Amino acid sequence: MADTTHEQWLAQIDAELDGELSLVERAALAKHLATCGHCAGARASHLEVRVALARSAGNPHAFVLPRPAIRAGTLALWLVVALAAGLVGGWFASHRWGAPGGGGTVEDTRGTIVVQ
Amino acid sequence: MIAALQGPGTRLTYRIRVIEPAVTPRVLASGAVSGPLDSDMRLTLRTDTAEVEALFQVTAFGDTVTVTGEFLTRRLVGRSRRDLPLWEEDTYRRLVRMAWSDTARIYPFGTGKRPQGRSPWVELILERHFAGGEARAAERFELLDSTRDLSIEAVVRPRRARIILNLVRGDTVSGPRPMDLVLEEPARVVQLVLKGRATTLIVSLSRPDPARSARAGALALDADVVCLRVSQPAVLQPLGTICGRLNNIARQLPLPTGDTLAATFAWPGPR
Repeated sequence: MADTTHEQWLAQIDAELDGELSLVERAALAKHLATCGHCAGARASHLEVRVALARSAGNPHAFVLPRPAIRAGTLALWLVVALAAGLVGGWFASHRWGAPGGGGTVEDTRGTIVVQ
Repeated sequence: MIAALQGPGTRLTYRIRVIEPAVTPRVLASGAVSGPLDSDMRLTLRTDTAEVEALFQVTAFGDTVTVTGEFLTRRLVGRSRRDLPLWEEDTYRRLVRMAWSDTARIYPFGTGKRPQGRSPWVELILERHFAGGEARAAERFELLDSTRDLSIEAVVRPRRARIILNLVRGDTVSGPRPMDLVLEEPARVVQLVLKGRATTLIVSLSRPDPARSARAGALALDADVVCLRVSQPAVLQPLGTICGRLNNIARQLPLPTGDTLAATFAWPGPR
């Protein structure tokens, strides 16, 4: 985070107030706030804005709802699982309720002539 | 070709038995179809869930004979969403070579495993013998289990046909003019007299056009259909063509003179 710009620190403050930062990121932000008065002021004003909004909404206590964190790998895994389940379900439904006439090959049902 | 096959001398017999498999196999039906050497046999078997129609033809070659079976099968495969039966149709050909008097076993419903149990088979024996002059087909069929829907019939393509011609005008009919016509032979002149007026026509007999449906073609459903071509002397354009089975039913053709020509087709008498 050494090369982090001021705008990026402001974004980190927003994320921190939303509860989206990991422990390492929160530690880095705390370290920066200890040395950057500008960012510390910005964080304080962000907090004040959130408290004011919460109060205007009838809630005297400001609180933060953490957003569910969805990682790309997890999302891809669930997509693959859903696709596979759909394929298996479709195959089973087609076999069970799809076009009739299944079971065995056509040759099994055809007549034959055998010389004794 | 057909004339040679239907000539006196050789007579072909399809002898069949329909057998239901069991510990002691049971004969459901038996019968025989015989006729000229070019006679075919049509076999029909029906159950609640399947229908098999087959036309068997033989080609003799020395001491062996090749049996060709054209099969048309319909199988009940389920019901639609509107609860109507769904049928699966199949058409195929089977061919086997055997010696005269060998026994061929025909499995019309196949030999595969079926939930309703094993299906009946048909035993077929082909025989030929000499029978001078007998060109008419003959059938004999005995159904021993009346709950079964089985049938066999001879399929013979006529070489000649008996045609009876009448002229009709209002409620007056000319005397019948019977004649034996040979298929694909040169046309003949016929004169019909009605109320003292003679009408001269040129008639010839031919086979109908090939069957339009695959089923009719495969099962030779129009084997006994002939077409009578009617024209006037010195006029190229024919007056018309009457096609029909050899079943003694009169078919009509309007003539330019205002009369109507009634033609009745029948099998010729035995020779």
